[in-house]
Amino acid sequence: MSARFDVIVIGAGHNGLTAATVLARKGKRVCVVEKAAQAGGMARMTDFGGGATGPEIAHLLYNLSPAVAKDTGVAFDAQPLPTIALSPDGFHAEIRGGTLRRAEGTLHPDASAFEALDARLVRFAALLGQLSDKPPPTIAEGLASMASLRDLGGLAKLGLNLKRLGRDDMREFLRIVLSNAYDLLLDELPDGPVAGALAADAVRGAFSGPRAPGSVFTLMYRMGQGCDAAWPMGGFGAFEGAATGAGATLRCGTGVASVDVEGDRVQGVTLEDGTVLQAGAVLSSLGAEATMQLAGPAHFDIEATRRLRNMRTKGTAAKLNLVLSDVPDMPGLSDAQKAGRLIVAPSAAHVERAFDPVKYGRASDAPVIEAVMPSLTDPSLCGQGRQVLSAIVSYVPFAPEGGWTPAVRDDLTARAIDTLETYMPGLSGLIIHQTLLTPDDIAAATGAPGGHWHHGEMGIDQVLTVRPVNGLSRYAFGIGGYYLCGASAHPGGNVTGSPGRNAARRLLTDGIPA
Amino acid sequence: MTVQTYDAIIVGAGHNGLTTGCYLAKAGLKTLIVEKNDWIGGAAVSRSLHEGWTYSNCSYVCSLLRREIVRDLELPRFGLQVIPYEGGATFTRDNDYFAYMSDHNALEREIARHSPRDVDAYARFSQTVMRQCRFIRPFLLRNAPDPTSLHPRDLGELAFLVKQAHGLGAKELGETIRFWTMSIGDFLDEHFESDLIKAHLAGSGIIGTGLGVYSPGTAYVLLHHYMGDVDGAIGAWGFARGGMGAISRALGLAFEEAGGTIRTGSGLDSFRVRDGKVIGVALENGDTFDAPIVASNMDVKRTFLHHVDPADVPEDFTKAVKRFKIRGSSAKLNIALDRMPEFPAAPEGAPFLRGDLHCSTSLAELERGYDDWKDGRWSAEPYFDMLIPSQIDPTMAPPGKHMMTVFVQYAPYDLKVDGVRSGRNWNDTTRAALANCVYDKMEQAMPDIRQRIVHAEVRTPLDIESEVGLTEGNIFQGELTFDQLLFNRPVPGYSDYSTPIEGLFMVGSSSHPGGGVMAAPGANAAREILRRAGKGRAMPKVAA
Amino acid sequence: MTQRPASTVPIGLIPGPFHDRLDALSHARGWMDWAGYMSPTVLDTAEFEYFAIRNQATLFDISPMHKYRVTGPEAPAMINRVVTRDVRRIGEGRVGYALWCDEEGMLIDDGTLFRISDTEFRLCCQERMFGWLLDAADGFDVAVTDESDTVAGLSLQGPTSFSVLKDAGLDVADMKPFDLREVEPDLWISRTGFTGDLGYELWMPWEAALALWDRLWAAGGHWGLRAIGYDALHIARIEAGFMAAGMDFQPVHAALRLHRGRTPFELGFGRMVDFDKGHFNGRRALLSHRDYGARTHLVKLDIGGFKPAQDALIYHRKRREVGHVTSGVWSPTAKRNIALAELKAPFGDSKTSDLWAEIYVNEEGRWNRRMVPVTVESKPFFINDRARATPPGAF
Repeated sequence: MSARFDVIVIGAGHNGLTAATVLARKGKRVCVVEKAAQAGGMARMTDFGGGATGPEIAHLLYNLSPAVAKDTGVAFDAQPLPTIALSPDGFHAEIRGGTLRRAEGTLHPDASAFEALDARLVRFAALLGQLSDKPPPTIAEGLASMASLRDLGGLAKLGLNLKRLGRDDMREFLRIVLSNAYDLLLDELPDGPVAGALAADAVRGAFSGPRAPGSVFTLMYRMGQGCDAAWPMGGFGAFEGAATGAGATLRCGTGVASVDVEGDRVQGVTLEDGTVLQAGAVLSSLGAEATMQLAGPAHFDIEATRRLRNMRTKGTAAKLNLVLSDVPDMPGLSDAQKAGRLIVAPSAAHVERAFDPVKYGRASDAPVIEAVMPSLTDPSLCGQGRQVLSAIVSYVPFAPEGGWTPAVRDDLTARAIDTLETYMPGLSGLIIHQTLLTPDDIAAATGAPGGHWHHGEMGIDQVLTVRPVNGLSRYAFGIGGYYLCGASAHPGGNVTGSPGRNAARRLLTDGIPA
Repeated sequence: MTVQTYDAIIVGAGHNGLTTGCYLAKAGLKTLIVEKNDWIGGAAVSRSLHEGWTYSNCSYVCSLLRREIVRDLELPRFGLQVIPYEGGATFTRDNDYFAYMSDHNALEREIARHSPRDVDAYARFSQTVMRQCRFIRPFLLRNAPDPTSLHPRDLGELAFLVKQAHGLGAKELGETIRFWTMSIGDFLDEHFESDLIKAHLAGSGIIGTGLGVYSPGTAYVLLHHYMGDVDGAIGAWGFARGGMGAISRALGLAFEEAGGTIRTGSGLDSFRVRDGKVIGVALENGDTFDAPIVASNMDVKRTFLHHVDPADVPEDFTKAVKRFKIRGSSAKLNIALDRMPEFPAAPEGAPFLRGDLHCSTSLAELERGYDDWKDGRWSAEPYFDMLIPSQIDPTMAPPGKHMMTVFVQYAPYDLKVDGVRSGRNWNDTTRAALANCVYDKMEQAMPDIRQRIVHAEVRTPLDIESEVGLTEGNIFQGELTFDQLLFNRPVPGYSDYSTPIEGLFMVGSSSHPGGGVMAAPGANAAREILRRAGKGRAMPKVAA
Repeated sequence: MTQRPASTVPIGLIPGPFHDRLDALSHARGWMDWAGYMSPTVLDTAEFEYFAIRNQATLFDISPMHKYRVTGPEAPAMINRVVTRDVRRIGEGRVGYALWCDEEGMLIDDGTLFRISDTEFRLCCQERMFGWLLDAADGFDVAVTDESDTVAGLSLQGPTSFSVLKDAGLDVADMKPFDLREVEPDLWISRTGFTGDLGYELWMPWEAALALWDRLWAAGGHWGLRAIGYDALHIARIEAGFMAAGMDFQPVHAALRLHRGRTPFELGFGRMVDFDKGHFNGRRALLSHRDYGARTHLVKLDIGGFKPAQDALIYHRKRREVGHVTSGVWSPTAKRNIALAELKAPFGDSKTSDLWAEIYVNEEGRWNRRMVPVTVESKPFFINDRARATPPGAF
């Protein structure tokens, strides 16, 4: 059996779907091939049974790029959520719209320091955000040195915008952009839940503690669109809807066995069931190394395969999904705050200490958690008497020493629930159902390399011109007609759609052979 | 009370202060150097603390000292002799070792003994590091460009940077960006498979810094230790004959021959400032001196937080100085030995024993050492860089006896005892406990080390701070992270050795390009001072 | 006292498999470092050793060459990924010259590729390649083994080399140039060499080296068999027009200045690059280079006068510097002053006239500067039909 398309997109995650939408809206015949039974990848909803649905892995929207929205027509009814920095002493703090106050509504002593810092970071983040909508800058591709001036244009514009910020801001930007979040935060704030929440944001999903240089960059990346985290009403289905709405074919349930190449050009793909799909171009939203392996290392330079093999993709975040019989008690929080993004990170030092064990293959003794109960914002997710608590638990190793035995899993689950219980007394009595997804599970379920949230560490040595690896950073992936469109491409992870959109546009510029 | 007038006064007779002094004096400025200790040299000293033995009791080996400066100041004429040392080794717990052999063929064989694949990996690793050295060396004796400035000089420096970078080509530029931002651990993991070889090479990525082997930016720290040379052999290290004090002694003699005056035993009270301009210095003993140019060899925190009236500098500047990170991460042991210790793992008379010796056998072990330090403890399994210079330099110990220098990492400045972190927790008890921890680890290589010790000087970060004046005992006068390098060092906008106070300059390692007995900050600052004094032509053209 | 380790790695040069015999023959005591082994530069007189190459038969120890065996069902595919030519065209029992490049199309090294069987190759080269081949093998069903220290190699070159083998009881009469054969268990012979003349290379286990040497030596008396050092071979290989790594090109893995690497086109080996065989390392970059054109040309030069031109600068119209000699010797056989030289494009290709070499000659303490005309040659300086004659005669 065989069929012919203009473009095949491997993986129906939000980036694959975004790429498909952009191309389909330009009239290309696009087929999206998804191994799982359901589209969505990391951004998919799941039915926990008993009338409870919720986000299986990713659970919040941070920075869907406006450019993506424009090129795909994807629109979410996004409800911004406040961020609640939970404090062991019960004096929680609420961050909303760039302001900080105590949860009970009174002035927070660090409010002005926080707001100045936040405003500055948002300004800088917006600046870096401009780079997200274009391929990363480079000085030259091969010998075509004339192209280098145009490629430098993006950087030049960044430089110009940087100058426009004024000299003090520019100096501050150049000082902190490669530095570590821990020092930056504690230069301005006392160490406590607010600094802890920001530190946790800087390193969520990363194989890095807040003291590691580069964590300011990841913090700014998260703040890219300068807004609060939001819950998309109804879930993340808009990506799928946009793709099919634009006319793309979606084939779920069978993965791609190989990408077929002839004469240094892709010819299409062969599916695991033997089906051959022909196309002039193939976009892969899998991890960078997996994308190479699908076509086979023989089609890549040895240096490229070596770099891809060395890419750092050790995931550190697990996902704990709880179905509850009721909203747990959360002393000190209002109903609106309970529906917020709840951060358990008592201090920046705590986050750093939580990171230490994962370096040696053990999970944190005292995990750092981002929890949200989407069913409070979006009651349609659950039936009567059901609530969903969705928690990202850090730090958890991809491959613990001794493997993921049931005992290790249970221990991790118990530790996470205990940690939440500190702030939600009686929580464990409400649990009807619980699912733990370790980084290993996430890798198996979605193909994310190492179960890494961003398909690869967002260290400075793996972003921009060197993402995913040096020499393959501008979506075109070696073989003619082959493109990388997932989070391991620039600008990286989170539910942004940017890598997918940028890759699709690059393909449109290069042209698709008939 | 005496009042005397000079053209320039330098506070602190460290190697950078002395270097600045030499250039100023040679340019004809009447120059005074004041030093709080009764000896000169700062952290480049040779001291006799046990009769018959000489300790290089702070810095202990030499590579970074810029050859252009040695030549300009004719330091060999003043007795400076730098002798390269041979190889080195890391000893394991099971009576084996990895030896960094100075003979190329032997090195390949030794690497192959641990991993045949790593022989090629080592070649690739060295090529990359050498390429980065070639890239960075031209910047050491130039001012760092200020990208926020539109001044022609800054634009010129920026253009030089762009030209150097563009010359690399796209792929190599990508590799350069990665190298400058990645961790030494990741860099080594990308190349080697032998844990022991990785551990041996990783030390240079953390020495003197408050970062772990897996902290991004430590590959640069490695480069910082490789970018020097001995007689053109890039990356080679050597001993100064007679100890590191020989460098200071030569600089001091060169300075005095050029007409300069040194006053030791003269601690600074404060920099005297009037109407935003420096007018001289006031010493602790009540002496005051006048000069329109004053240079501080102290680190930026000590200079501005201890000796300048905060009212004389903008608040933002003080804030920037406060947040400048100078972290104590290392201790030092100087040991007099009654004879050469036994190294049971090593062949008799092995030449690599004349090099730098270590006992840390994996990157994980090194990283754990960093975790301990973050929590306010010294590393349970400390990394050390240990040498016995008396094997090469007979002036360091009586015949048949030996002198050993042991640089220890990590040791916190603000030691945690009973949950409280404070420099005051360093006392004889904690100092002895630290030394014991190091001896335990040293027994991995030398089971008889404790029996060999005749005398030992144990220097905690607090001790180094109290004696030398380096904040927290940090050997680089400030962390070598990107937020504190190049145009960010020491304070954005002041990387050109100037300060908000007119006539006051920063000439120590807090300034670009940083620490490590390089003398480049001192020389660069001298060039800047002379240029501003209208005597730019008096500065020899040191930049390559 | 604790027990000391039994041994440590030796420092300096170590003896190779033929060392006992070479040492006994070494009157000149001239040794050089070849991959850590003591390799003779001269055994008695370079001049006579050279003439033995062109007139008799010679033995040269090539054991320090790096030798890697690649075995497995995907060995042809894996090797094809590395080298620029199509190895599927090298048949079983054949040897092929090969070049391989980095991702930018710059030459890493050149060497000879021995196809031992359908699924088994041996690569012989100057530069260490073990890590590179292991990286290349990642994802392929092959095993890469470093045989550098276990397989000894002996080069028997010269017009009477066939006769020496014959008298030693080794029948290779029907072997054509670039043939490879296991003539006896564990003794492989290939009709290959670095002299441009009739010659063979013999491959055996390290420990079988001395016995083979003795066998050849006993048979070689009548044929003027002589052991030689590198200096003699150096002259012969320039006459034959063969380039040497590190002299005539900079192997890019050893270059600090990456732009000093050279493409096969720049070294005159465009014909060795097969763009139609599928992807190989550096293919995409080499396509650009092919379109962009060579930056330099490595050429063979006939140099005027009689003084060897090693390191001489080459000028156009005696004024503009356009290149330099990379290897230059007096050819005792061709009676010409010959050289390999690297010229900046388009010199050496479309522009070959009015080129001059600047040669400095020290005449008893006085330096003389001479500008001599040079001519670009398209053919090797030494060509002889006996190199290809099959069966070879007793030349």
